[in-house]
Amino acid sequence: MHTQVSSKAAILAVIIVLTFFVSWELYLRHNGIAADYDDGPELWAHNRAMVYEPANKATVFIGSSRIKYDLDIPTWESLTGTHAIQLAMVGSTPRPVLSNLANDTSFKGKLICDVVEVLFFSRRGTERPSAGLNYYAKQTPAQKVSFILDKPLESSLAFLNDDHFALNSLLEEFHVQNRRGVYPFLDFPPGFTPNMFNRQNKMSADFIADTNQHNQVKAVWGLLKGDPTPPMSGKPLDSVMQSVKNDVAKIRARGGDVIFVRPPSSGFFLMAEHHLYPRKAYWDRLLAETGCKGIYYEDYPEQAKLDCPEFSHLTPTGAIAYTNSIVSILEKEKGWSFSAH
Amino acid sequence: MVFNSYTFVVFFVIMLALHNLPISWKAKKVNLLLASYIFYAAWNPPFILLLWLSTVVDYFVGRALYTQPNKHKRHLLLVISLIGNLGMLCFFKYGGFILENFVHLTNLLGVDFHPAKPNIILPAGISFYTFTTLCYTIDMYKKKSEPVKSLLDFSLFVTFFPHLVAGPIVRPPQLVPQFETPRKATKQQLFDGLFLLSLGLFMKVVCADTLLSGASDTVFGSGGLMGPLDAWTGVLAFSGQIFFDFAGYSTSAIGVAMCLGFILPQNFLYPYAAIGFSDFWRRWHITLSAWLRDYLYIPLGGNRSGKFRTYINIMITMLIGGLWHGANWTFVAWGGLHGVYLWVEKAIRDSRSKASNAPADGTPAPVIATASFGPPLVGKQSASFIYALLTFLLICITWVFFRSPTFTGAWRLLHSMFGQAPPSGPPLLETIVIIKVMVVIGLMLIFHWVMRNTTVLKRTAKMPWWQVGIVWSVMLILIILSQGTSKAFIYFQF
Repeated sequence: MHTQVSSKAAILAVIIVLTFFVSWELYLRHNGIAADYDDGPELWAHNRAMVYEPANKATVFIGSSRIKYDLDIPTWESLTGTHAIQLAMVGSTPRPVLSNLANDTSFKGKLICDVVEVLFFSRRGTERPSAGLNYYAKQTPAQKVSFILDKPLESSLAFLNDDHFALNSLLEEFHVQNRRGVYPFLDFPPGFTPNMFNRQNKMSADFIADTNQHNQVKAVWGLLKGDPTPPMSGKPLDSVMQSVKNDVAKIRARGGDVIFVRPPSSGFFLMAEHHLYPRKAYWDRLLAETGCKGIYYEDYPEQAKLDCPEFSHLTPTGAIAYTNSIVSILEKEKGWSFSAH
Repeated sequence: MVFNSYTFVVFFVIMLALHNLPISWKAKKVNLLLASYIFYAAWNPPFILLLWLSTVVDYFVGRALYTQPNKHKRHLLLVISLIGNLGMLCFFKYGGFILENFVHLTNLLGVDFHPAKPNIILPAGISFYTFTTLCYTIDMYKKKSEPVKSLLDFSLFVTFFPHLVAGPIVRPPQLVPQFETPRKATKQQLFDGLFLLSLGLFMKVVCADTLLSGASDTVFGSGGLMGPLDAWTGVLAFSGQIFFDFAGYSTSAIGVAMCLGFILPQNFLYPYAAIGFSDFWRRWHITLSAWLRDYLYIPLGGNRSGKFRTYINIMITMLIGGLWHGANWTFVAWGGLHGVYLWVEKAIRDSRSKASNAPADGTPAPVIATASFGPPLVGKQSASFIYALLTFLLICITWVFFRSPTFTGAWRLLHSMFGQAPPSGPPLLETIVIIKVMVVIGLMLIFHWVMRNTTVLKRTAKMPWWQVGIVWSVMLILIILSQGTSKAFIYFQF
């Protein structure tokens, strides 16, 4: 059977594809976009597998996006001499991951849990944790190999960014008007979301310098203001508290420890959080019922003065200061000791 | 291992290199077999034993079936093979489902029985390789073909990695002779194969996963009633997704095999250009419908036992075809609905042929074994297109049962599609998502209609090389741009 799928067609296809992607990569880099890592279930599962390191050699972090930005991992590791295993997930409640670690009898380490009230005390925000936990449980040998092969490509190519430069994300750039009530696509600027291989998020210098981009993120938070769901209270809240208490007890019974942290927020985000989630009814109650220690940023002047450019996350400089403060407080007040000292 | 992964790219490059080395044909076959086991083990290594056991048992049982002169012993051997293969399939695939229904039944009868839920992992591709080996043993019982001469060739027939986990379901005469003589791809076959592999990945990664799965998952995952626009968008999205996902896999499998010099049968022939449901089943999952025709419908009697029995045989075949897809009554309902469609079509055809005194146009056999062109267009083009569109819309209704995990969910979605109840919440889908789905489905229907009587490779033969190159590059660019977590092929779960 004669066909025209010839070597000439193949060579032309290769030339066009290479030309396109070289041009696209150069364009993105010219616009200040650097290569980073997609924060998908694969990378999360890679970190999840590391939690079995001894407690004096590693600390596990769970939570929402704040701890992903606010914990500066290199600072933590140089100050404490321990590995920081970041398992927090953006836009997610940490409770499913807490339960997963609690029910994993091989996990006996130290755990720091970030509390963002609107996510911690919520029935929602479980999609990413479910996806990550499910992927970790069922990961195949082929998927592990693909992850290894993917790493050098992602570290080198800026266009390999699922959140901003994948086909669906590019189509979202058309900003087609939605019907009233439709949950919108959350359009974060690329400089806000860079994700490192250790799963730390770092705002780019370009983002920090550009207040327009800060306002773009604030506008996204503004969309979420329209959510009619009331803060969790009553029996559902009691149930959450009990569940967290049980999970913490399991970890501690095995020799592990859990500390809760409340990272900084500012502006209308902070006002809304104070109004909807009063400290006494949520944070204080959480510590009282679980018997855990906690670090609430407003209690420490060096943390309280830190500013979040878009009201919710620290800059890389702020993250270094916050991490220094956390380590100092853990050692001096919370009874944790680290191998570096 | 899935075709749309970095692991497969490396695996395939190594395979191509090894297959083109100047070594003996036997060494190449051993290499292909080992690679196929590695391909399967990359999903879950222990289940290689199951695959190997099925292969070895059926090889020796098949040979014995062909050579055994005693009729009763041959029957016994066939029963052993059927029990072995179907028993394995029933345990792994339907064990939980059977137990769940048994518990429901006992509870209905007043017996308080609540066993622990078994945690049975479904081996990838078990439905496919089980049917492949059953083909062989049944053919040996009927002496339809010669036994495969060597265990190596038989093992390759069952395990050949392009078709192993999601078809096409091949028959021994289609593939075994290809292993008996040395072969590697010609330069033309290599480029054709790479083009088909690219096309298959484009269908799967771009069309199914990137452009359609989001809308489908959102709508089918919603727990409430919704407006007709959201409901229809979700259902249309799934109709496209299941086609692009499965046909994409089959196209990739055919392309990969072609790159190694092997020809696999066609599995899809633009099914959404079908005019009527018999035509649909000549175009959708062709190798499965051929298998069901030859090993279920015809042994049941086909159309040879009178009209009433023909209708019964059609329904049994479609119900079992539905159940093959998954351990859930919704799949059976999907098959049953197709059975009803075929009944209505047959009844109309029979009454028309009676009225015109012309011989009936045969039973609406749900399958054709070979990838033949569809029947000639009936009537004017535009009328035929309308009938094809009507067929497509009725097929979409069946997909609601196929995709919904429960009947409650299915009915809720059907109610939403026809505006039977007000939405229980805000609209679900972004406008850009709706536009994506409508554009992709619209283009898909047009493409199916234009291509309904030809194939991709025949079409590209008429195009200048530079046009083929541009189309190929656009597919590759969109595949790379799609990125994202590689989703498993939907049919891996069957």
